[in-house]
Amino acid sequence: MDAVTLRSTRFGELEIPADAVLEFPNGLIGLGGSRYTLLARSDEAMFVWLHSVDDPAIAIPLTNPWKFFEDFAVELSDADVERIGIDDAAQAQVYVTVRAAEAMEDFTANLRAPILLMSGRGYQVINQAPDSPVRVPLLAGVAENAGQAA
Amino acid sequence: MLGDDVVVEVIEVSGSSVRIGIAAPRSVPVYREEIWRAVKEENAAAAASPVTDLPQNVPASKA
Repeated sequence: MDAVTLRSTRFGELEIPADAVLEFPNGLIGLGGSRYTLLARSDEAMFVWLHSVDDPAIAIPLTNPWKFFEDFAVELSDADVERIGIDDAAQAQVYVTVRAAEAMEDFTANLRAPILLMSGRGYQVINQAPDSPVRVPLLAGVAENAGQAA
Repeated sequence: MLGDDVVVEVIEVSGSSVRIGIAAPRSVPVYREEIWRAVKEENAAAAASPVTDLPQNVPASKA
């Protein structure tokens, strides 16, 4: 198995398997680049890093949106369905980007531009579902559920 | 032309308004500017997150 050397300003130098490299044909919105990989401390990690393989300084925290937002839905535009080659976001692994901070209470998520991964490729799409804010406190949905359960 | 693949055409001129069309191959995403800007900003902010260690678990009180 071929390995690729990932140079990271945060994590130093890492060897990653070649098949862990994800191709983003259109990069990320406003951020370009084309090769990224997911870095996580364990399989059950709550958050993962989407780390650029081409630029050592670029890494974005991602999370599984359904862990925090039960009612989260992804609707794809017709243009994205054609561009990506799937009908339904359920055919992909779906992540949302997170602005991380020292305290989890200050984390925010972008529900408007989720990242879809499938078959070694990745795309950032614009969610057509209503009520998908570009910036929402990560714990907003969790706090609501906790309140209702009490 | 915008780049090699994208063509902007004037479709209609009427009074002081001009309607334009954008023809781009299916592989090139076309976004409304304000959404593109907002997402670009969020991506940049997420990439500038001032932490290197990400939490492993949701705090117990919220689980």
